[in-house]
Amino acid sequence: MNESAIYIRNLNKSYRGFKAVDNLNFQVRNTECFGLLGPNGAGKTTTMKILYGKTEPDENPETIINVFGCNPRHQSLIIKAFSGIVPQQDNLDTELNVTDNLYIYSKFYGIEAREAKKRIAELLSFMELQEKAKVKIRELSGGMQRRLTIARALLNNPKLLIRDEPTTGLDPQVRHLIWNKLRELKEMGVTILLTTHYMEEAFQICDRIIIMDKGQKIMEGPPRNLLSDRMEKFVLEMHGVDKDRVIGSSAFKADGIRHEFYKDTLFIYSNDPEKLSRFGETQALRNSDYHIRPANLEDLFLQVTGRSLNELQ
Amino acid sequence: MNYNKTYQLPSLWNRISSIWYRHIRVYNSSFFSNALPPFLEPLIFLVGLGLGFGSYIQDMGSVNYLLFLASGIIVTSSMYTAAFECTYGTFIRLEFDRVYDGMLGAPISPNNLILGEILFAGTKGLFFSLAVLMVTWVAGIIDYPLSFMATLIGFICGIMFATLSLLITSFVKNINHFNFYFTGLLSPMFFFSGAVFPLENLPQAMQWVAEAIPLTHVVRMARAFCIPGQLDLYLLNDLLYCTVFIMLTGYLAIRRIKRRLID
Repeated sequence: MNESAIYIRNLNKSYRGFKAVDNLNFQVRNTECFGLLGPNGAGKTTTMKILYGKTEPDENPETIINVFGCNPRHQSLIIKAFSGIVPQQDNLDTELNVTDNLYIYSKFYGIEAREAKKRIAELLSFMELQEKAKVKIRELSGGMQRRLTIARALLNNPKLLIRDEPTTGLDPQVRHLIWNKLRELKEMGVTILLTTHYMEEAFQICDRIIIMDKGQKIMEGPPRNLLSDRMEKFVLEMHGVDKDRVIGSSAFKADGIRHEFYKDTLFIYSNDPEKLSRFGETQALRNSDYHIRPANLEDLFLQVTGRSLNELQ
Repeated sequence: MNYNKTYQLPSLWNRISSIWYRHIRVYNSSFFSNALPPFLEPLIFLVGLGLGFGSYIQDMGSVNYLLFLASGIIVTSSMYTAAFECTYGTFIRLEFDRVYDGMLGAPISPNNLILGEILFAGTKGLFFSLAVLMVTWVAGIIDYPLSFMATLIGFICGIMFATLSLLITSFVKNINHFNFYFTGLLSPMFFFSGAVFPLENLPQAMQWVAEAIPLTHVVRMARAFCIPGQLDLYLLNDLLYCTVFIMLTGYLAIRRIKRRLID
């Protein structure tokens, strides 16, 4: 089951001189969950839209885009027939109820009325919305609407699910529910491609990710490996730091630690938590000024994409 | 659930008509507020203008004024509904509600989507002209049996103003700019199309202007189906005008709106 579902080579997209996607290469394997990570403006959404023909890539003879054997330039309708696509913004018909929203989309996929009714009931219970079948969209919470847009994208039993920021703006309960459902879909054999800027999300559900910045791929691999290969195991964060005093201290020059300043916060990275606590005890003015925690994907992300804001953030 | 089935693409007609179906469902979801005005509007017109003017003007040319007016506003209501649908309606779906973004995630192409819009606007045009006709039938103003054919002209009128309005919409970045279209283009069209007064006595130059206006041609065709003895072969010229107008504005509208759907 390791043949590739999506194969991208030399993908470029520019908008009036601005390079949104810059020579991107990646490959998604069949039935894996693949994440595109990056800050806003990194080119994640653009890349995703290119895959189903919503955005046209730059003309370039070296570009290869292959989505289950189809090229979105000429075959976007076929790609959309076997995919479930959920754009970033919820766009349900607010005047209609839950069932009608799904029924209208079943027409778009050419599903017969009787088959559609069965499928809608199935999907509502899958997304735990069966009690809301006759409720108008405007009466649904944000989390329910998001679940409904996922249900809508599953009407055609897609083999590929493309999801732009599945859980942005949702509360923890709903996020966990959605992660759980995405995992279930993967078990059923659906290939999932998603974008996110939540590192936690990538860790929770992605088999492999690429981290993008300014349209380029910065790194690629399973989230766990990326973290263990690129980052120390622990981080000490210290706030309200007097930079000159800390830099002058002997603890600062100890072996096996790495440091980074951001405004008045100091980050010290090390594989040895002992070293970090020693540093904290000697350098912090108060105990409450520092804490030590395991390094996470967010640290890696900030390290590779930088801490300062770009013009799109 | 079965995620290994074979997938097939719905036919072209199914794709276009599913967009049409969506609009019909959304339109019907607020049935009363959407279905009542088309009947009230002609009533207000006929009572207002008909009673007011009608007591001074008995006949317009050789035709009773009420009959003249009634046969004129069959298509003007169709024009306005199609124009509203394909300006404000389209713009909101495009920019605010992001309805098109969702549709284009389903196996629907930009062309399918736009053709669905045009078809729906035509249907609304037909429904609105039927509403006017029903009022005039009940009021006994129009009783010519062929008058039901005027609904078809209402459909053509709806299509014509759908394509024109979509073309306008393709240029508009700010929803308030539609005001220019409605007051600057459609309102003068309403008055100089022969819907409320005949064109024969206008200065020659104005008559040429009137002939250039799309509404004039549908007004003439609709009226010919409502008043005995007016059907004539020269109406084929009007039909030809409409066909060319729809093809031209439709082609340009599709080309330009597509560029706003695909980036």
